[in-house]
Amino acid sequence: MTSASSSGDETSDPKPNPITKPPEDQLAALALSDTDSQANGVANESPRGNNHNEIENEEEVAALTNSAPSGSSEVVESSGGGGGGILRARSNSELEADGPESPSSSGYAGGRGSSSASSDGSGIDEIAAVSDVEVVDGVSDSQAPWVPGKRHVDEDDASISWRKRKKHFFILSNSGKPIYSRHGDEHKLAGFSATLQAIISFVENGGDRVKLVRAGKHQVVFLVKGPIYLVCISCTEEPYESLRMQLELIYGQMLLILTKSVNRCFEKNPKFDMTPLLGGTDIVFSSLIHSFSWNPATFLHAYTCLPLAYATRQAAGAILQDVADSGVLFAILMCKHKVISLVGAQKASLHPDDMLLLSNFVMASESFRTSESFSPICLPRYNAMAFLYAYVHFFDADTYLMLLTTSSEAFYHLKDCRIRIEMVLLKSSVLSEIQRSMLDGGMRVEELPLDPLPRSGSFSPHLNQHTLPTDSPDRFREPYDGVGGPAGLWHFVYRSIFLDQYVSSEFSAPINSARQQKRLYRAYQKLYASMHERGIGPHKTQFRRDENYVLLCWVTQDFELYAAFDPLADKALAIKTCNRVCQWVKDVENEIFLLGASPFSW
Amino acid sequence: MGCSSSLPDRGSGRLVGPNVENGGAADAKNLRVKLVLLGDSGVGKSCIVLRFVRGQFDPTSKVTVGASFLSQTIALQDSTTVKFEIWDTAGQERYAALAPLYYRGAAVAVIVYDITSPESFNKAQYWVKELQKHGTPDIVLALVGNKADLHEKREVSVQDGMGYAEKNGMFFIETSAKTADNINLLFEEIAKRLPRPALSSSSSIQNP
Ligand SMILES: Nc1nc2c(ncn2[C@@H]2O[C@H](COP(=O)(O)OP(=O)(O)OP(=O)(O)O)[C@@H](O)[C@H]2O)c(=O)[nH]1
Ligand SMILES: [Mg+2]
Repeated sequence: MTSASSSGDETSDPKPNPITKPPEDQLAALALSDTDSQANGVANESPRGNNHNEIENEEEVAALTNSAPSGSSEVVESSGGGGGGILRARSNSELEADGPESPSSSGYAGGRGSSSASSDGSGIDEIAAVSDVEVVDGVSDSQAPWVPGKRHVDEDDASISWRKRKKHFFILSNSGKPIYSRHGDEHKLAGFSATLQAIISFVENGGDRVKLVRAGKHQVVFLVKGPIYLVCISCTEEPYESLRMQLELIYGQMLLILTKSVNRCFEKNPKFDMTPLLGGTDIVFSSLIHSFSWNPATFLHAYTCLPLAYATRQAAGAILQDVADSGVLFAILMCKHKVISLVGAQKASLHPDDMLLLSNFVMASESFRTSESFSPICLPRYNAMAFLYAYVHFFDADTYLMLLTTSSEAFYHLKDCRIRIEMVLLKSSVLSEIQRSMLDGGMRVEELPLDPLPRSGSFSPHLNQHTLPTDSPDRFREPYDGVGGPAGLWHFVYRSIFLDQYVSSEFSAPINSARQQKRLYRAYQKLYASMHERGIGPHKTQFRRDENYVLLCWVTQDFELYAAFDPLADKALAIKTCNRVCQWVKDVENEIFLLGASPFSW
Repeated sequence: MGCSSSLPDRGSGRLVGPNVENGGAADAKNLRVKLVLLGDSGVGKSCIVLRFVRGQFDPTSKVTVGASFLSQTIALQDSTTVKFEIWDTAGQERYAALAPLYYRGAAVAVIVYDITSPESFNKAQYWVKELQKHGTPDIVLALVGNKADLHEKREVSVQDGMGYAEKNGMFFIETSAKTADNINLLFEEIAKRLPRPALSSSSSIQNP
């Protein structure tokens, strides 16, 4: 239980101001101008202008009952007070630390306060004085096809190109030692890390917590996790909440690799250099960061399934269940980032974020593809302190099995399990069904049924179409040559709250470039953040129109629907279409969702 | 590295997998042997294994996570066969404390360094000591200087490698996974040095 106390350490900083250069020099790149700008509150959408003011309707719709299985409820169009400011620029009170913060509980003696420049806030002013510098366009991280691995290792914080990156992520220790940087070599960025650390530490010393600093187009978001600081610097206009969640996921990814016990290293030695412990994992982090712009699971906190005939998924589930009963904690069969089936031992539950981090880790680490392997991994939501052991085997380039256990001795047993599973999957042709589903893709807006069908529950596979799913991490494929669905429907994402699963439609024209897809996800993400903003009542519907889309979001107790339409779409028709989408999803839920999985309760 | 928690206690466990899977008794003619590769990250452990098992060399070989399991059977001239069950471990520092998980019960440990890296030679010596202390008694130890094709960049002399191996009663060889030089020889020589189960039920050979 020593671990529990570690969270108290975050306020202690034995070595307050290891600034190697005056902060001004380095912060110039960030254009930090104003740490308290409530005024800047809501981020503007892309070029300029369309912000939340254009939410046309946004309020509670009491009339909405949940539309559960009957599908009978309707989105009720409504009018009313528009949404409020969404971001707090800086908050003193709401930091979600993982434990009680008590400065006095620090395991470290001394060091706080005295030597740090100023705890009266004048430090902030100092930084503010260097505001207003070069900011970017030009370099966009969405242009080139994604290349796995560390980017731009040759850069350091003096390079113009480094300063122009749209989004930076850093991990550093509370003594200012760099741990990870998305762009450039973390060691060359040591001075810069020290600066970030200095900002964090003096705000902490003032009894405050920096969460967000806004500066012109840039936001700097901080997340403090015990001795580890995570920082995002972004001019992407993503909401604070989204960026914070991304930092949480990055932290989770780190825990997956090391467990939270890494904190003990800092207890022993505050200047502990963590980078060697993360050796060879750059690609895991860069792949996670890349997924922030293509994988809705990163903001929905839900997973998605590969569409499969009900019986096929059942067959896979049955053999996994068999194996789970023999002492395997979790048995998970996936195809890329999509679940085919998964089973947990009694009472064990798997958080969707853990699944995301685990599948990212496995897909990004090429060595898993060479042969079967047995590796320690930690599921941060399951137990952040302990390793589990993962048996991983790829059946083909995309389809892989993960068997998780608490026993370090279980390899040969798990290997036997895999052989049994493989035999069953081959016999019942599950593996070939998986291949076919990959080719067929998922739901297409063009195929939205016109009328509520008699509940046939059959999800017609698109056997004769040559298109491939676009929902793919590495390749944005040729767009389906569709024209969008009825009423100008371009795309939707449906998240089932009860199942912790989502389904999203295939991309089709005109959302056909990686860039447009990313922009749409960012728009959804923003909607998601505003719908989930605490302190603002439960929003039931939102309807936004800007020059890119009409976006419609509908939240009930059972599901959340995010839909994008042509910007000229008729509102009433769009709402009607959303109802049809929900009905459609329910009609085919047997095939697009994993039903009856062991209850996820956390 | 001193900070991995929740690791199995060294020596607390049984042999990893006295593997019932292959009921066909390993007799004096058909040996099954657990072999573990250890050494710094990047010295070429995975390349050696893939060269031996699949006859391939991938210059873009990817850093190993945890450990990979592969097997390969060879026939010796005296018509015995030896099935190597190989644990190709990750050389990354964070896995160092987990090594016992993989070398426990191993009949053979192949400790690899890169002849262009004195650092990796130091690391190899660390592994030798660790195995002498905690490895299976009677374990066959081999010291391998890999990347012998890079002779123009050599920084560890053959004499140093051989000298250290002799002092520690190890088999020594230099290999190149890239050119395949000495790779098969390495495993054949190991096979010859295995204690035969017919003599006793040696703990170092898995003999169901
Ligand atoms: N020139 C040359 N390069 C080699 C040889 N063997 C391996 N390499 C290169 O060395 C690099 C690392 O090889 P790996 O086999 O992945 O190293 P490893 O020891 O398995 O590393 P970890 O899995 O991190 O422990 C690769 O880029 C290989 O191309 C060799 O014999 N000659
Ligand atoms: Mg390797």
